[in-house]
Amino acid sequence: MDNMEYIDDYFSGDRSESQTQSFEKRIIEDPAFAIDVAFYVSAKKTIAQQVQEEKKQRFQEIYQQQKKVVPIKKYLQPFEWRYMAAACMIAVVMLLTWFVFRGKTTPANLADQYMQENWKTLGVTMSAKQDSMQTALLLYNAGNFNQALESFESILKNDSTNQSAKKYAGIVSLRSLQYDKALQYFTLLAADTTLFSNEGKLYKALTLMKRSRPEDIEAAKKLLADIRDNDLEGKEQAVKWLKKLE
Amino acid sequence: MTFDTPSFIQEDEALIRSLRENGMAKRKAEEQLFSQYVYFIREGMSKYSLPEEEAFDAYSDTILYGIDNIIKGIFENRSSLKTYLFKIFCNKCVDLIRKKTTNKSSIHQTSSISDLLFMIADPAKTVIQQLVDMADTDLLKRKLTELGENCKKLLGLFAEGYTDREITVEMSYKSPDVVKTSRLRCLDKLRQLYKQ
Repeated sequence: MDNMEYIDDYFSGDRSESQTQSFEKRIIEDPAFAIDVAFYVSAKKTIAQQVQEEKKQRFQEIYQQQKKVVPIKKYLQPFEWRYMAAACMIAVVMLLTWFVFRGKTTPANLADQYMQENWKTLGVTMSAKQDSMQTALLLYNAGNFNQALESFESILKNDSTNQSAKKYAGIVSLRSLQYDKALQYFTLLAADTTLFSNEGKLYKALTLMKRSRPEDIEAAKKLLADIRDNDLEGKEQAVKWLKKLE
Repeated sequence: MTFDTPSFIQEDEALIRSLRENGMAKRKAEEQLFSQYVYFIREGMSKYSLPEEEAFDAYSDTILYGIDNIIKGIFENRSSLKTYLFKIFCNKCVDLIRKKTTNKSSIHQTSSISDLLFMIADPAKTVIQQLVDMADTDLLKRKLTELGENCKKLLGLFAEGYTDREITVEMSYKSPDVVKTSRLRCLDKLRQLYKQ
């Protein structure tokens, strides 16, 4: 007990230089004292560890209680995460692609589909006489849209009442994505009341669907509804599109 | 122009004050600190691929180490508590990965042994270090359980760093001198049990 008090005083209080020297000298010279010092140090360390263990036990209890409220998920290994993330990304991309190209038919897609089916090539009259209209149509069918448009416009310059030239100029403008020009030609075409068969309004609606600006779809719908309600040229197609655009 | 202290700093400061107190306030603050960042365990599981048990060990060691540093004033409020603890936690996780084959309890070394040995110069220090290394810690732990509850609590508070004056208040002793006498008696009792 005497040794313990001496050791405790040494470690707890202020020490003079001579007290320190005397303490250290005794450790070297007195093995029993050294054992007591070692016990003091070991005991304090072990008790401190024990206190920490008890705190950890307390933490464990808190943790288990919290887990009951919010169950902890089993986590995947990082490399598994990478594969999972890659698989998810691929699935998302596939899903988006499906939605964009298959699941939902956009007005522009409907327009593309119509142009592919009807305007891939335009009918050329089999005639020995090679007039400018036939040449323009041949240029269009060859995919030379710029020259074809120049030719149709040249025809219109000479004959502004040529409705076929207006129609073709509109078509080639639309195929070359010159929407404003296409609308201009189809508007002129639609305005002509002398024609027995006038697809001007339908093509105007088609151009608006292809352009698909925010206000275009509503305008296209109005035109299509007009064709349907007034039994105009292209009624069957207009009804089909209206159903899909609703 | 005045600047308000961000709320998280105010919360940190309140928690640090409570951790530096004694008794129930400290105990509650320890539990609050543990609960506050318990999600670090998930981070340990996901980021370091540790099993839940090991991530918990790393986290509870982090909290104990953090508390120790707060009490000793080593934590200087240069970062938020969260940032400070997360850095310790990451280091503990890395340590765990490196030391998977070693004894887990050695990861959190209490500083008392180094503190005490720091007070002795060589060659006496070497002598004590060798004797401490030879001590049967498991036996000492077993013998500690044979002590009465009062002795265990008294020695526990002392090992935690409480002064005799603080223990006087905490355990309702008459004076620090009585605490010291009781504490040394308990220590002597433990020594007798250990020698048997």
